[in-house]
Amino acid sequence: MPLRPALLATARPTTAPSPPREATAVALLAALAALAPFLLGWLSVAPNRLLSPRPAALPMEPGLGLAMGGFLLACLLVLLLARRTALLPWAEAAAALALCALLATTGLGARAVLEAASPAARAMPAAGVWLAMLLLALAAGSCAAGRGGTPGRFLALAVLGVGGMLATGLLDSLSVVREAAARGPELRTALNGHLALAGGALALALLISVPLGLLALRHPRLEAALMGVANGFQVVPSLALFGLLMGPLAALASLWPALRQWGVGGIGPAPAILGIAAYLLLPLASSLLAGLRVASPALLDAARGQGMTEGGILRRLRLPLGRGVMLGGLRVAAVQAVGLATLAALIGGGGLGRLVFQGIGQMATDLILLGVLPVVLLSLLVDGLLALLQSALEVAR
Amino acid sequence: MIALLAQVAGFLLALWAAPHLGVLWHALFPALARPTWDSQSWFTLLGEHLLLSLGAALIAAVLGLGAGILATRGAGRALRPLLDALFAFAQAIPPVAVIALALPLLGFGAAPTLLALVLYAALPVMRSAVAGLDAVSPAVLDAARGTGMGRAGILARVELPLALPVIQAGLRVAVVLSVATTAVGAVAGASCLGTPIVVGLANGNTAWVLQGAIFTAWLALIADRALRLGLRRGATA
Repeated sequence: MPLRPALLATARPTTAPSPPREATAVALLAALAALAPFLLGWLSVAPNRLLSPRPAALPMEPGLGLAMGGFLLACLLVLLLARRTALLPWAEAAAALALCALLATTGLGARAVLEAASPAARAMPAAGVWLAMLLLALAAGSCAAGRGGTPGRFLALAVLGVGGMLATGLLDSLSVVREAAARGPELRTALNGHLALAGGALALALLISVPLGLLALRHPRLEAALMGVANGFQVVPSLALFGLLMGPLAALASLWPALRQWGVGGIGPAPAILGIAAYLLLPLASSLLAGLRVASPALLDAARGQGMTEGGILRRLRLPLGRGVMLGGLRVAAVQAVGLATLAALIGGGGLGRLVFQGIGQMATDLILLGVLPVVLLSLLVDGLLALLQSALEVAR
Repeated sequence: MIALLAQVAGFLLALWAAPHLGVLWHALFPALARPTWDSQSWFTLLGEHLLLSLGAALIAAVLGLGAGILATRGAGRALRPLLDALFAFAQAIPPVAVIALALPLLGFGAAPTLLALVLYAALPVMRSAVAGLDAVSPAVLDAARGTGMGRAGILARVELPLALPVIQAGLRVAVVLSVATTAVGAVAGASCLGTPIVVGLANGNTAWVLQGAIFTAWLALIADRALRLGLRRGATA
């Protein structure tokens, strides 16, 4: 049989290892990240909290020059490391290094600028720094694109590095860090409240979707109803759903005042948790059902033929085989829960959204950032951790 | 189709009737002095809501389709990991965070919301455009080239028509997402059907919240239904 041309083409040995398909995108992003602070500015300084910030030049001193050099070098490293497939994880790590060096430069610059200014002056990273951070995160994400797109290594290193810099006081002169120090207890309460809202909603949604999903496996009509309801919730805007839940819950609480002791009422965490949980039903239920159906009918028949009970099949076949898919649904749901919990503050549910909306009300950028940055970080961390667990399970299989 | 038209008619009738139903709102919320929303016409709010969400969806469709076409040919293929990373990144960040971050830069009003809407709606369009264009079989492309068609001709007359069902599904997601997410823009001062909800929450007026919530949710359901119907017609035609 003659070899087909297509086969010949794939069989041809590759002479030199060509750069991976990620190389161009990563190089572009790293180069732009290195340029952004120089083009769009490093620092903005405002004389006080009320006046709007103006761009400020970086004062040149040895420590700052070192940090800036480290930033540029790390960006170059990202660009170079991304040219080999095997080195892509290291390019991701170099992006985290670049991010830390970028923030160190900004922190040192802010400290030097404020030394000469009045005590009321505030220094914040300028647009160039924010853009460079975003571009570095995208560069890390592009490095990880072949592995599901979650740059876990970048996230872990960046969190460690920024945490270390915060602990040593390197970033203390930045206005958002000052705001955090001034509002320490408030920030902690908001963070705890946020975690409680997201966790509570996730637990409630699991409590509803797991038993119903298991039942729906054998009752098609229940499945149709469950999926219909879950899909319907997805279409309704979250703000509207929270609003619609307020009235009935307030009525419930006034009918049975005992419920108020449990926190049930028109305002507060109860409508928020119910509302968030409603959006989590679809990812949880659909991934549960899809996961339970990973085990092929032939396999299930063979198991039944061996005399396995339905419970045994569930425990020893359906759950182990489908856990990757189910975990994927849990990941989507957990990330959504963290995001949706931000809106809970609008109906008095607390959480990080309180800082965000308070900041919007006062037009205080630092306060908005103080609320938004932890939400973004929390979402990325939850996503990264569950992605890690997912890939660990896939390796274990 | 008739059910949908009836629903639209019901929606518009309810919008018209809402300010005249003072008796009902007073009965439902006896504790409130002004339970009827009358500071703005519901039709104005609906118009602004549709203008903002459909305008954003249109910009997003152009951007998403352009990025999708770019990422499936020639040198643009190298941008694919970047688009994937952008998609994964956006999935992890809630739209309200983007609106809040854009607020200090763009100020109160529709601009921060428009930015967030365009960003979030462009992604599903781009994803579906890439998927649809990728799925066109090489044999078909070879045949088209064999008949002497140019690159632009192949794109316009072969690739895009073949990828259309997939792209349409992405467009539907974009429009529904846009109509639903616009409501959140009310917290940043965008005037839309979410405005009575936010104003009501700020003033402790649950009646305004309820009225705004009903119409916001209703509009989202109608949009979803209309697009599903439109797609099914497109598929059978």
